[in-house]
Amino acid sequence: MTSPAKADPDVVVPPRPRPRRGVSLLDAGPPIALVVIFAVFAALSSDFRTVGNLQNIMDAAAVLAVVACGITFVLMMGSIDLSVPGVMGASAIAVALLVANNRNGNDWGLLGILVAILLGAGLGLLSGMALVSLRVPSFMTTLGVSAVGLGVATLMFAGVQPNIDDEMLHGWAVHRFLGLAYLTWIAVGCVLVGWLIQRYSRLGRYAYAIGGAEEVLALSGVKVAPYKVAVFTLAGAFYGLAGVMVTSQLSAGLVQAGKGYDFAAITAAVVGGTLLTGGRGGVLHSAVGVLLVTVLTNGLVQVGVSPYWQGGVQGLIVVAAVSAAVLPQRRRNQVTK
Amino acid sequence: MSTPVIADPVANPAAEPAVVTGAPTAAQRVTSFMPVIALVALLAALTIADPDFLTQRSLTAAVRTSAPLVVLAAGATLVVLCGGIDLSIAALCSLSTVFFAMWLPDLGGLTILAVVAAAGAIGAVQGIAHVVLRIPSFVVTLGGMSIFSAIALVISDAGPIRVIDRDATAWLNLYVAGYVPMSFFVAVLVVAVVSLVIKLTPLESFVRATGYSESAARLAGTPVDAVKVAAFTVSGACAGLAAVMLASRNFSGSPTMADNLLLPAVAAIVVGGTAITGGHGSLWRSLTGALVVTLLRVGLPIVGVPSAWEQILYGAIIVAAVALTLDRSKVLIIK
Repeated sequence: MTSPAKADPDVVVPPRPRPRRGVSLLDAGPPIALVVIFAVFAALSSDFRTVGNLQNIMDAAAVLAVVACGITFVLMMGSIDLSVPGVMGASAIAVALLVANNRNGNDWGLLGILVAILLGAGLGLLSGMALVSLRVPSFMTTLGVSAVGLGVATLMFAGVQPNIDDEMLHGWAVHRFLGLAYLTWIAVGCVLVGWLIQRYSRLGRYAYAIGGAEEVLALSGVKVAPYKVAVFTLAGAFYGLAGVMVTSQLSAGLVQAGKGYDFAAITAAVVGGTLLTGGRGGVLHSAVGVLLVTVLTNGLVQVGVSPYWQGGVQGLIVVAAVSAAVLPQRRRNQVTK
Repeated sequence: MSTPVIADPVANPAAEPAVVTGAPTAAQRVTSFMPVIALVALLAALTIADPDFLTQRSLTAAVRTSAPLVVLAAGATLVVLCGGIDLSIAALCSLSTVFFAMWLPDLGGLTILAVVAAAGAIGAVQGIAHVVLRIPSFVVTLGGMSIFSAIALVISDAGPIRVIDRDATAWLNLYVAGYVPMSFFVAVLVVAVVSLVIKLTPLESFVRATGYSESAARLAGTPVDAVKVAAFTVSGACAGLAAVMLASRNFSGSPTMADNLLLPAVAAIVVGGTAITGGHGSLWRSLTGALVVTLLRVGLPIVGVPSAWEQILYGAIIVAAVALTLDRSKVLIIK
């Protein structure tokens, strides 16, 4: 704070722009909350504050982190993505059928994983195309694409569960490097890649801009539609990888591989400071949010709360976080749909 | 989701004037009859595929299956008419089946009323959260969906609860005039009563005004917040009634019983032709939509399509129907 008495009377000191203080709270809040929650659980439960449990938390956060990376880009645009369960289910079954498994003679290895990720990207592309060409709101298109993905997964599942025999894919969940499973390092890599895309690529910058003020961007001569489609495709690829990771963890392909991840990822992103209205937050914010959600889930179980409450706690957090975020504009924003 | 409402018609010259009562274009007329056309076409197609389909017995079975879906879709239609969306209906319905199974031994015949009232109250809480906290309805109800599932899992211990006393709901399994299943009769009755109440009171203009242009409705003195809370309350109560129907048919309550009804219910609403942007539509349309969805569900196995295609079809239908009925003049930016 500059004291007004010392200021030169001729120089008008511009008042510090107010939104910035809000943003800094938005940026600093989640990490502080993470530390506080971590400290509380560490004080409450002796099982919580062990190195083994810390590894558990990091490993449990891996899949969610990858999903959150994808969904963050969509949320930054101000859209929403409910297609996670369908995309993850489809890619989980696809990868289980393409690597060495008990259902067919395929042994595609890494190529199979790549195909599964591309399938996820394809479903994301479908959401994006429906959004920009049919002009259907994203929560409807992605709800539809989720159903399509689940249908595709069920078709491929065909009543017999594919168990994977692929050593490499199975090893991702088992082998450890520096105390963490390979999957966790993949998730760390995804967060890094996501951050680089968000920070340094045109796609990431425009995703921000679309969320902030799409009209302005469109009036500036930017063709918005291809970037929207690209963002949904990128998000689909992340979900595809997440589906592969779940298959690696379970050693089997399940249609329900992505159940609940959509909501958990939205929770993580919102708690981390990515606003549903778009234009704020980012991959690193969401990564903090993922840790918050995972620590909370783990900690509540450690202190003896039924794991069935998990979804309920996430629901409360989302509603609370969103209402806290819209509180400053409450008077201005009269129309909420 | 922010869907900016056009304040200035000049900003979008392609937009139609906001007058609703103008003569509909040919395309609009066809679109407005689309659900009925789809229903008749489906019936015809299924009859061709299997001549036994158009018999009294199979039709009775089909409408009986559709009853919970009709009630669920009808309730949520009100929320959609106000311009919102209720994604929590299926989870609330599941929770209500658990309530029903748990309360039946103590409350006996009053359980039905208690469940409907409880579900209505829960719906009202969501509505209040939506209007007071000013959170988009799909966020509130998405959160609600997650919370209700959790509560249902916890109080039921994640398993089905059997309904031993079957007398309380035996009447739902009767037939009106020998042919119409009672549950379907009740469903149609709900649609008729709610439609009539809306039609005969100022509620119709309140709901439409809220859906077509919320800010204008607010300036004109429409009790927008009260209308929205009421819509969510009815939506919740309908979910409770649907739960009673489901529980009486399955003789149990389970925390996931109705979870797979969300997509069919949303499909029924949009296939019926109710615009997801609000204002345009009716409960009768959702009744037709629910019948179309049920016929699809019953009919796919008849024509030999694996049931996995059902999901894919729902997805495609939802997107296509929304694309056809969306009021593009109202939404400048599609998020």
